[in-house]
Amino acid sequence: MRQRPLPRLALYLSAVATCAILVFPIYWLVVTALSQPDQLRQLPPSFWPSQPNWGVFGRVLGERPIGLWLINSTLAALGAVAISMAVSILAGYALSRFRVKGGQSLGLFILTAKMLPATLLVIPLFGIFRATGLIGSLWSIILAHATLIVPFTTWMLKGYFDTIPQELEQAAMVDGCSPLGALFRVILPVSTPGLAATALYGFVLSWSDYAYARTFLTNAQGNWTANLGITTMKGEYVSNWADISAASILVALPVLAIYLFLERYLVGGLTAGSDK
Amino acid sequence: MTRRVSRFDLARPSRRHWLGYLLLAPAALLIAAIIVYPLFVSVDLSFQTVGIARLDQPRRPFTTDNYARLFASPDFWNACWVTLKLILVVTTTCFLLGLGTALLVNNRFRGRSVARLFVAMPWAVPEVIATVIFAWMFDSSFGLFNWLLMKVGAIDRMINWFSETGPAFAVVATTMVWKGYPFVSIMILAGLQSIPEDYYAAARVDGANAWQRLLNITLPSLTPVIGVTMVLVMLWVFRDFSIIYVLTGGGPLKATQTLSIMTYEQAFGFFRMGYASAVGVVTLAICVVAAMLMMRRAPDHL
Repeated sequence: MRQRPLPRLALYLSAVATCAILVFPIYWLVVTALSQPDQLRQLPPSFWPSQPNWGVFGRVLGERPIGLWLINSTLAALGAVAISMAVSILAGYALSRFRVKGGQSLGLFILTAKMLPATLLVIPLFGIFRATGLIGSLWSIILAHATLIVPFTTWMLKGYFDTIPQELEQAAMVDGCSPLGALFRVILPVSTPGLAATALYGFVLSWSDYAYARTFLTNAQGNWTANLGITTMKGEYVSNWADISAASILVALPVLAIYLFLERYLVGGLTAGSDK
Repeated sequence: MTRRVSRFDLARPSRRHWLGYLLLAPAALLIAAIIVYPLFVSVDLSFQTVGIARLDQPRRPFTTDNYARLFASPDFWNACWVTLKLILVVTTTCFLLGLGTALLVNNRFRGRSVARLFVAMPWAVPEVIATVIFAWMFDSSFGLFNWLLMKVGAIDRMINWFSETGPAFAVVATTMVWKGYPFVSIMILAGLQSIPEDYYAAARVDGANAWQRLLNITLPSLTPVIGVTMVLVMLWVFRDFSIIYVLTGGGPLKATQTLSIMTYEQAFGFFRMGYASAVGVVTLAICVVAAMLMMRRAPDHL
């Protein structure tokens, strides 16, 4: 299609302006982290750090247990993702390939479970974890995060398995493979991209949680996750925005990296199970 | 074409039973333990007068007091009103912004994929980090927004964003819109790409201008996607905890106290877990109705 130059220019300008405004808060976070403390206490604010303070990251890592928080968040996310993937692979495969009685209603329930308010589940889970002595341990949030992750991963994997032709397993079974063998030796290897994307999506869900960590781990400082730790910094050092921003960048970085590398897969997962 | 039933057809009746059930069993057990049982516990708690939930102690007598107190409480109705206001403001703004950005980056221009990546980026920022960013931008002494609004002459004094009711609500809504619009944008973009190019070509032949094409082709084709997306955004606002809790804690004067925040505050601020469960159960009931309305739109997807 022929394009006239003027609308073309307008399109460029509006695209650039929109992106600039919408991404500005992220830019501002970086500028704030790199600013000298006294630069943050002056108006008009400086929109470009004249002497970027790169040392802030090292300092913040040394002064606050951010490394520990990041490790805790990682352990919790790995645990929750491992449990969720283990059950979701089997369930997603069953929902995709078998017509089991009750399977549909289980699928429907799982889809509805995505809509449960965390603030409701957190009360009984608190009671259960107290009774079982899990309060304050990372296991409490690993299990709680599984309530967030399993509904998503099951539906994402079902959608992914739906795109793999049944002939693959059939061929394997003709060659003497058992149905489970076909799943593990044929279907899973060809599903690696889908499995990776789904697992990373689950990782992001766990990494972003605040409600469960706040409730179960507040009194166990050694097990604080990154998000929980950040919010305590916000309350404590109201004025030290450079430090909080630097810590926030360290916490947001893994998720942003996952997003940048896997935008296409993640966006596909986002629309799976909820579109149409 | 008739479907060939082979010995290896997984949907064959004799295969339906044991393997299918076996594969679903772990997920079903896990969900029963960490979702269904807790749900049952919270419904049960909502019918008892319980302070701190102690499951190892005998259950208290059955009572509907929590619900009676709830519906008589002005705080509950205030929370309903705040939730509704927030849903309306955030959903509408997210929709307009999401539609606008989706239409923009759906155009063919150089650097489109980069623009797409940037436009959806806030989606990948964890909610707690988003609240940190906006808490600082709305800081009452050195925040960017006060400075900007003074500069353009919209206000004549620094606003204390977190201690006045209207401004606090605005801060919460702004943060949620920024975090929420990329999802709308992503979903609408996916919808836009499924509209056949021929429709537009035909409309151009008939002399339709850009505005008419938007109203008569684009929007009607997008209606199902927009419907589902809006329901999901509403549910997200409805259930959100971290953004509001970290920014304002529901205050000042309960101006940002949604049903979710009220549930949490009753349970872990005042340790009235029976009462809090009642608020939660009512919240859940509203969620289920919304979810069912959504499912009705997508029956073929299951």
